Amino acid sequence: MKEEKQKPKLVAEKAPDPASPGTNAADQDGGPSVKEQSREADVETKERRFRQTDLPTHFIERRRHPRIQTEPPPPPAPPRLEDYSAIIGKPELDEIRFLARHLQGKTVKMVNSTAVGGGVAEILNRLIPLMNELEIPTKWEVITGGNDFYEVTKGFHNALHGGEFNLTQQIQDIFMSYNEQNRQRMEFAEDLFVIHDPQPAGLIRSKAETRGRWIWRCHIDLSNPHPGVWDFLKPLVEQYDATIFSSPAFTRQLNVPQYLFFPSIDPLSEKNKELEESTIDKVCDDFGIDRSRPILCQISRFDRLKDPVGVIEAYKLVKKYVDCQLVLAGGGATDDPEGAAVLEEVMTAAGDDPDVIILNLPPWSALEINALQRAATIIIQKSLKEGFGLTVTEGLWKEKPVVAGAVGGIPTQIIHKLTGVLVHSVEGCAYQIRYLLTHPEFAAQLGKNGREHAKENFLITVNLKRWLLLFQILLGVAKPSKTS
Amino acid sequence: MATAPQALTSERWARAPFYFNSASHLLRISREKASNLQELLEAVRSCSDACIFQHTFQTLEEHHFIREGFSNDFSHWAFSACNEVGLAERLAALDVREFTSITALRERLVTMIESYLAKNPRAGSRPATEPFYLMAAELVVVPTPYVARNLEEFADGLRKVSIHSIYYHFIDARLRIKLNNNDFSVWLDQELDLGAAADRINRIDIYTSTLEGVRRNILRTIESEIARG
Repeated sequence: MKEEKQKPKLVAEKAPDPASPGTNAADQDGGPSVKEQSREADVETKERRFRQTDLPTHFIERRRHPRIQTEPPPPPAPPRLEDYSAIIGKPELDEIRFLARHLQGKTVKMVNSTAVGGGVAEILNRLIPLMNELEIPTKWEVITGGNDFYEVTKGFHNALHGGEFNLTQQIQDIFMSYNEQNRQRMEFAEDLFVIHDPQPAGLIRSKAETRGRWIWRCHIDLSNPHPGVWDFLKPLVEQYDATIFSSPAFTRQLNVPQYLFFPSIDPLSEKNKELEESTIDKVCDDFGIDRSRPILCQISRFDRLKDPVGVIEAYKLVKKYVDCQLVLAGGGATDDPEGAAVLEEVMTAAGDDPDVIILNLPPWSALEINALQRAATIIIQKSLKEGFGLTVTEGLWKEKPVVAGAVGGIPTQIIHKLTGVLVHSVEGCAYQIRYLLTHPEFAAQLGKNGREHAKENFLITVNLKRWLLLFQILLGVAKPSKTS
Repeated sequence: MATAPQALTSERWARAPFYFNSASHLLRISREKASNLQELLEAVRSCSDACIFQHTFQTLEEHHFIREGFSNDFSHWAFSACNEVGLAERLAALDVREFTSITALRERLVTMIESYLAKNPRAGSRPATEPFYLMAAELVVVPTPYVARNLEEFADGLRKVSIHSIYYHFIDARLRIKLNNNDFSVWLDQELDLGAAADRINRIDIYTSTLEGVRRNILRTIESEIARG
């Protein structure tokens, strides 16, 4: 891996904007603009965090200048099915092969809106090679669109989570015209089509021209959607043969079957594979994290719905009683332009506490995230709204006690006080963290149960099995047995 | 794969072989949802058999690794979302092995909730902290290549199958064979005349053991029978 050797920037430092009117004005009259003054004050705030501290120098240096990989490492070869044997056992693997036997030769097309960033792309990247290995030829296609399309779909995304939205005719036209363009561009010759999320939902218009079965996989929470946006999308969704949701709480009343598929993680991916202690040490060293003291860690993109500021508030309450560090690490997904603003808010909330370590990581930081999670004493995911919360799954898999907001798919993963702890407030979050830090045996038991729960329900192998079952049912290869 | 018997130590041969199957299930989201205990009672009365199966039989398999504190979804919800400890305790004590039909299990659930609400009428409308979503299990039986005609092959199959197979034969079987028994015990008794071993296996407690623990317990019994010759 190539490391950044030159002096790196502080995470929230921004390059000067030559197009900024403020900068031009300053150049002209020789004095600092309002924007520059504000930026200087900002840098001043960040530097102040490290002035009065008894942290060893090397930690301060790394926290000022974390060693962040500047280029993506070469992608590792995707695992073979057999590689999972050591994790799930041969009998489990055999069952997957038995199930796949009846589907061999059937073809599948998966369509989503992004090839990189976000949980969906991550899942597809791993799932599709496994399906192909099982001799179920599976193709992945990504829809394309202009900025106007992505602005609309971002607006839809927020609106489907309950946000305000002005659904004009023009917006509907933009959505449908890009779907139509993609529909014209793609071929639909497969036996099964899996369309992920609302962005490409309009591809269903091709259903009448195909012989295949169509599945809409919804990864987002539709429990409280903007009525206008949902009324627009619902007639499309109801044309599918089956729908899949990540939690029963995310669904709407539909006249098509709704299945529950938990999203999944890959235990052999860079983000989840076992790591040597020396690797974890190195990553902590690169970021100035002190492994001799408790580490609280939230991994998520800088998004208000993940409540990073709430996490800092909870940490500050904990810190009154227990010496610890907080690591907030994440980045912006390619479809998330609000990330930079949230990062600023987080920096402000961290104030002058040098033990709040904020890492704005590039998308290729899977190994670093893995190491941070493994180094953590407690993993936090204090989301206010959540899809499924794969970072929770990652924490459970790493046998860590997880403290998480009781929203979205998180309660499915965390059975309160059995596989983790659910919280509803900053104060509750702080209390539970304190309790776990002072009761390590209980924390360890949660971690143990959490790992088993993840193994039984949230690994890619379980996900693969669910797909095989659904394909069998939809194609009439298998009929569910009666329970009575 | 079952192979031709070689170097057998057991003299008993089954008249009919034991075919190891497994079962995989998909969860279908049902329309029923409960936001308080009264709604739960109505949902339990009206939901499909597959829902009752999911929240009792199937959930036990899904949470088999938790050795204490989890019995079925109804009990867990009554405790964690409704804070009705008395009802949760009674529901938790419900042992699915006593039921050979979903109808009987549903009746018992209805009686338990009804009698609790009769004594605690205000509990019925008290809102739960989170709703209970009813789910239906769609079970697909998956044949495995393992077949047993004697104890050695049976032990070999037990070691090789997944825990879903153990669950299918040991717990789900009750609904299929309509007996307070399991596929393993029935076969051992009927085919190999090992009534005592069959009985010992049938008494293994799934509620205080993980499914791997159940597998180990069954294997111990079989291995001791093999050792006795």
